[in-house]
Amino acid sequence: MLDLKTQIIAQLNLQDLKPEDIANDQPLFVEGLGLDSIDALELIVLLQQSYKIKLSNADDGPKVFRSVRTMAEYITAHQAQNV
Amino acid sequence: MYIRATGNISPQKTFGHPPFLSEPVEYSGNRLACIEPDYKGLIDAKLIRRMSRIIRMGVAAAMECLQEAGVTKPDAIVTGTAYGCMEDTGLFLTRMVEFNEELLTPTAFIQSTHNTIGAQIGLLLQCNNYNNAFVHRGFSFESALLDGMMLLKEKEATNVLVGAIDEITNISHAILNRMGLYKQGQVSNGELFKTIGIGTKGTIAGEGASFFLLANEPSATDYAKLEGLKTFYKPQGIEEIEAHISSFLAAQSIGLDEIDLIITGKNGDAKSDEIFAQLQHRIFSRSNLVNYKNLCGEYPTATAFALWLAANIIKSETMPTVLEYTGPKEKPIKRILIYDHYQSVHHSLLLISAC
Repeated sequence: MLDLKTQIIAQLNLQDLKPEDIANDQPLFVEGLGLDSIDALELIVLLQQSYKIKLSNADDGPKVFRSVRTMAEYITAHQAQNV
Repeated sequence: MYIRATGNISPQKTFGHPPFLSEPVEYSGNRLACIEPDYKGLIDAKLIRRMSRIIRMGVAAAMECLQEAGVTKPDAIVTGTAYGCMEDTGLFLTRMVEFNEELLTPTAFIQSTHNTIGAQIGLLLQCNNYNNAFVHRGFSFESALLDGMMLLKEKEATNVLVGAIDEITNISHAILNRMGLYKQGQVSNGELFKTIGIGTKGTIAGEGASFFLLANEPSATDYAKLEGLKTFYKPQGIEEIEAHISSFLAAQSIGLDEIDLIITGKNGDAKSDEIFAQLQHRIFSRSNLVNYKNLCGEYPTATAFALWLAANIIKSETMPTVLEYTGPKEKPIKRILIYDHYQSVHHSLLLISAC
């Protein structure tokens, strides 16, 4: 999850944040890190570029991108499927 | 119309209204980079992360200008840029190549458009008024300025924020350098018009973000009065250039002998400077001339730096020593003509005077 946090910080250019500043279950959008819809697109690209995972169902977005933990679980589940 | 306030980020110490060019900055190499302020106190941290360097410079210069004018919502925001947001453009194009035209990140694309800076200023101010961006190569700033002047003249606005923004990035510098625009070998901006600059090809790359708050009513703190602007494209020869200058001055009902100072866009390139050399021996032979591109470098909207310079000379009633002014020191400078051209194609004349 530390790597994922580092990737999120780099992808979204969250200059003042360090990986340890982001809690595993902290909401990423609105009241948490305060990300918005453009960031959501950046995160979708991050999943595709770094993990070769394509978010096939847009309705899954809010669930997958709720926190770093939910993202990590989604990545782990899909990587297992791809093996 | 009047120049009420200015904001300028340039390769010199100009941001935050420090003493007027009292400490000129010297650079070695053919590229002058802007001296940037700490943006944290100027722009919301949440917004900064998406802004590339040129967007931050433009927004910060605009904010400084508005702050000085005491204006929170201008009636219009008009920007001029030739290159636009090059860094984001370069990033987007590089990713297109790297990722085989797939998986492109949206931010660089969204922020790469030429109207991004004007739009960001509007968003920051929550200003829904007239907002326009001009992308007319070497006329970009002049077109923005003309638009602002017309808005004021036609009473569509009482104040207008007009600015010019252009950046040089590693990619654009490499490309323009390869095209032969810049000097090779040992170069220094301080020596541009001296030994190394004379008779050689190329200039030095520059960049900048200059903003002006124009108003149609005078105030006690105005910098200067903006009297007129004229552009002309690809003149056939020196006679045509002289005719444009004469007709411009005639339209303002003044003669060259009534101009206290002429700021010219000499940039060190032998071919480009030939025009200024000829004028200096012809109609400018009795005029006081200074050059400015040793301070900011050459870029398509450099005339905005010249306007900032002229406005500050008039307001401060001082001539920075770095300009190597040879005219009579005791004579106050009340009227300045700026004559500039970009690559001998886009020519412009600007006239400002003391209020």
